[in-house]
Amino acid sequence: MKRYAYYMSCINESMTKEVDRSIDYWQKDLGLEFVKLHEGTCCGGSNLDYVSPKHFALVNARNIALAEKMGLDLIVSCNTCLMTIRTAKKKLDETPALKKEVNDILKREGLEYRGTSEVRHLLWVLVDDVGLDAIKAKVTVPLKNYRIAPFYGCHILRPSTVLGRDNPLAPSSLDQLIEALGGQTIPFEHKNRCCGFHTLLVAEEESLNVAAEALDEAIKAKADFIVTPCPLCHTVLDGYQAKALKQAHIESSIPVFHISEMVGLALGYSAKQLGIKRHIVS
Amino acid sequence: MKPFDIVIVGGGGAGLYAAMEAMKTNPALNIAVLSKVYPNRSHTSAAQGGANAALGNKAKDDTVEMHIFDTIKGSDYLADQDAVEVLCSEAPKIIRELENIGTPWSRMEDNTIAQRPFGGAGRPRCCYCADKTGHTILQTLYEQCLRKGVIFFNEYFALNLSVIGSRSRGLIAMNMKSGKVEAFPAKTVIFATGGYAKMYWNRSSNAAGNTGDGQAIAYRAGIPMKDMEFVQFHPTGLRKSGLLVTEGARGEGGFLINKNGERFMARYAKEKMELGPRDLVSRSIETEILEGRGFDSPAGKYIHLDLTHLGADLIKSRLPQIREMSLNFEGVDPIEEPIPVRPTAHYSMGGIDTDNFGRTIMDGVYAAGECACVSVHGANRLGGNSLLDILVFGRIAGHTAAEEAGKFESGTISEAELKESVDQLRSSMQPSGHYERYGALREELGQTLAVNVGIFRESSLLKKGIQDISELKERFKKVRVFDSSDVFNTNLMQVLELKNMLDLSETVAIGALAREESRGSHTRIDFPVRDDEKWHKHTLATLIDGKVAPGEKPVTMGRYELQERTY
Amino acid sequence: MTGTIDQHQEGKRDVTFRVFRFNPQVDSKPYFDDYTISAERGITVLRALNYIKEHVDATLSFRAFCQAGICGSCGMRVNGISKLACTSQVWDELDKCREPGIIKVEPLRSLPMIKDLIVDMDPLVDKMTHYSNWIETTMPLAEIGKKEFLISEEEFHKYDKATDCILCASCVSECSILRANKEYISPAVLLKSYRMNVDSRDAIHDVRLSELVKDHGVWDCTHCYRCQESCVKSIPIMEAIHAIREDALESRGPKDTSGAKHAEAFMEDIEKKGKLVEATLPIRTNGMVWTLRNLLPMAMKMIVKRRTPPPPPLVKSAKGIKIFRSMFREMTEHVKQDHQKSHKK
Repeated sequence: MKRYAYYMSCINESMTKEVDRSIDYWQKDLGLEFVKLHEGTCCGGSNLDYVSPKHFALVNARNIALAEKMGLDLIVSCNTCLMTIRTAKKKLDETPALKKEVNDILKREGLEYRGTSEVRHLLWVLVDDVGLDAIKAKVTVPLKNYRIAPFYGCHILRPSTVLGRDNPLAPSSLDQLIEALGGQTIPFEHKNRCCGFHTLLVAEEESLNVAAEALDEAIKAKADFIVTPCPLCHTVLDGYQAKALKQAHIESSIPVFHISEMVGLALGYSAKQLGIKRHIVS
Repeated sequence: MKPFDIVIVGGGGAGLYAAMEAMKTNPALNIAVLSKVYPNRSHTSAAQGGANAALGNKAKDDTVEMHIFDTIKGSDYLADQDAVEVLCSEAPKIIRELENIGTPWSRMEDNTIAQRPFGGAGRPRCCYCADKTGHTILQTLYEQCLRKGVIFFNEYFALNLSVIGSRSRGLIAMNMKSGKVEAFPAKTVIFATGGYAKMYWNRSSNAAGNTGDGQAIAYRAGIPMKDMEFVQFHPTGLRKSGLLVTEGARGEGGFLINKNGERFMARYAKEKMELGPRDLVSRSIETEILEGRGFDSPAGKYIHLDLTHLGADLIKSRLPQIREMSLNFEGVDPIEEPIPVRPTAHYSMGGIDTDNFGRTIMDGVYAAGECACVSVHGANRLGGNSLLDILVFGRIAGHTAAEEAGKFESGTISEAELKESVDQLRSSMQPSGHYERYGALREELGQTLAVNVGIFRESSLLKKGIQDISELKERFKKVRVFDSSDVFNTNLMQVLELKNMLDLSETVAIGALAREESRGSHTRIDFPVRDDEKWHKHTLATLIDGKVAPGEKPVTMGRYELQERTY
Repeated sequence: MTGTIDQHQEGKRDVTFRVFRFNPQVDSKPYFDDYTISAERGITVLRALNYIKEHVDATLSFRAFCQAGICGSCGMRVNGISKLACTSQVWDELDKCREPGIIKVEPLRSLPMIKDLIVDMDPLVDKMTHYSNWIETTMPLAEIGKKEFLISEEEFHKYDKATDCILCASCVSECSILRANKEYISPAVLLKSYRMNVDSRDAIHDVRLSELVKDHGVWDCTHCYRCQESCVKSIPIMEAIHAIREDALESRGPKDTSGAKHAEAFMEDIEKKGKLVEATLPIRTNGMVWTLRNLLPMAMKMIVKRRTPPPPPLVKSAKGIKIFRSMFREMTEHVKQDHQKSHKK
């Protein structure tokens, strides 16, 4: 069993509950054990960084230190959490003074950030740790005949100085996962473009404009569904889909899945079990 | 078009500073800057080294007087000493003014403006911003011009001066976006269009557009050009592209190495070594190559500029641009390997003849910057003095034009004159039958200049060069412009630029043949010694009846007597 | 990219450049022209375009000047990505072709087209003017040129990278929000605005900042990082954008704009519960009226799917929140002390 500390993203606990739920179903099948980090706190989204850089460093040093205490890597299933925590890690690793300041406070809880745990995305664990062949072997309901649009989402790709697992101009990990599950990826310009999540509340029209472009391309390419490794992207592309398409005067719709659901389906679990019924777009 | 008080042709350091100064001198004037590229693209942005000023920050005992002497000596005593005095005395104020308005100069430990050593300077007085000095100065000036609301006509290609009698009535230019030829009636015109070293084409460090447009226009209008034969070859241009590797690399401690691993400058400038003045170092490198001690490659012969001993940290913080260029254009990382370099035509000391106030011989026409020849650089320019020159004399020209605009009446440019310009353009576009390719002519011009009017000159070579140029000019009459569109016709623009280079190249070659001595950057194998008795004077070239009419002008002397120039 | 000089391999192969063409004078809409030339290893895209213009099609129009990666003239999209043509190696681009051997060349996005690969830079210049991208010096007019301001290494470092910007507009072309709304400030202008604001010689920081926080300004950035990723000078543009936001929160307070309120809410929630209270986030950002008007229809759908975020009292705090809070507050003290120290300077 490969064990990992599993970071609980805010959105997965509130709106996109289906992500964690679906992972719970199939993790053992792939030889994975995710130990939920209930003491973890919000990573700060992409906001805490500039509200208070020091709190940002403290909060995420703690998140990583909790995993380090368990001797495990920290796995995340939300892109922004991934980018954010990795950014904090980079800052801590490169600024000894900051690391010391943060560790002096973490002492209170008996924690210390040492930099010994990696912070990675669930997608990378699947592709790199479990391996495509092992996944293929476990597939019972291959997704054949499904044309799938892979929407990576910005923060699993950029900035490449922080992420670095995929080439932001030609990412491949999600494509490979889809193919290992028996699905067919379509050529998709928007695969490495933005969904507009982070300005939904501040510049809604622009965000929906951005989302509509991605949806439009997938629809025009006759994709059966879009899959994304990020619940924030999912929230926009699924939850706000009707609003975005209406603004863009497009009459159509397309289902959007989380990677955890896509994996679950291919491994034989039902839509109901995986929580797919919770999506807005059916 | 409403008549302007001042039209400035060229939006680089000189042009922008002229505009700012003119506005300050008389805010009521109607001023416009006309540029064939967006001002922030101007070649000022490529100046990497820095700008000299006797601030006394680095060397506390540095003085304006030392700077004056270094400049005069560097010019091989051809610079006008009163002009040099203006240049050097204005320097500290100008550098500090630029700083006050936001130029991000690099700093020393005491937080004052940093200075570093540069070729031919007796004290470290070159102020810099990493290796992007020109870029940051230009951006700062452009920002200030936007702040002041300077009127820009961007991407307008200047065609000719409108001249009546002995004075100009303004400029005629082509709006690149629409292709329309437009009149810019103006009481005064300031040329600030940059140098003409690009006529050496592939053996030049200059931008593609440094084709001497302002000089050519002034020349065709009968205004004399001065000291055209003095072309500075920068010692270190990248082997393949001719692009510049700043003198700063040597200022930071780089070595020049020949094929035998020797730091050969010890034989040519024992004291200054790699930091001798540019003409000296260029000749040294060229000699090493000609005498077989250079490296060979399909792209030509070269020597090494070795920075490997400086360490990754220094290179990354002080010379990042050089590293990038070396990687991009030669595939070499200077941290690991020496850079392949050879001399490249870099700067034109010669240009439009002006006095110390930027005035040309024609009423209402001024010039400043590299396109002008005051002369402050004489036969050879010191590194770090060009950025200074364009700022000091750009400002002076702006001030002069602003003060004198009032005494000129505004003129009009007639429809007929405009039409003539348009017809002239169109006529060159579609020759019947056999035609010439402008690309070929351009390359051949560069070739013949590099070989026959290059670093080492000689009578028979120069005569061949003059002959070649004459033939090229003849062939140019049959050049065909294929793009017939009005919108952004870069084909037409490049052909017009070629014409400018052809017209000017004659003055360079003829001037080089006439000057029978070696001085500064002009080296005659057949006249290897400096001849003060016969040749301590400026040469002039004026277009009269379609031919180059030679002339001369005395050098203004001052405190410094003629001396031998050794380093 | 490195290789010893003397072992220079001159491989050659045929490369097709599929170039965007459009001449508004004669074309009703854009199209692509294919040019196949023999390219040797080591040549740049710009050199290839120059060759095509000189030997194949003189009507192909593009901007180029220094050809050395300094002036920023030759910004364009190569294989879909915005960059400088003069520093892009043809050989490297071949690896990225969608169709093997065919390099796609298009003009920059989000700027008006003029012809072929030439776009209009004026909108960018207009924005620079609008957002006061210049230093308004604090030096009195009579004193200018007499002596320099003393600038510390620390301050110099704040704006040093930002002054590398050559206005090539690659970031402008890649920006997700600008693509959605042409009025958006643009990454390049945000970068320049930041550079001005951290320069101690400048007098109009507050005025400039007040413009930056308005509509279409700094709060409209959606953090996609495309600008930073495509910057030809590797400038960390997002750091500058974050710095402006940090500055805005500090100088103008956390309740100044909806962007500020949104960011501040994160801080509040984390301190209190360690988790976001998403249900009230829209209300705290934009107010009740906005939330009801914009999100009610969606909220209804979500209620049906039982997808609504829990109301505040039902948001479970992170385990061990008490000790977390005390550490969080200890950091707050640190930050306060930092401010006092820096204001004393």
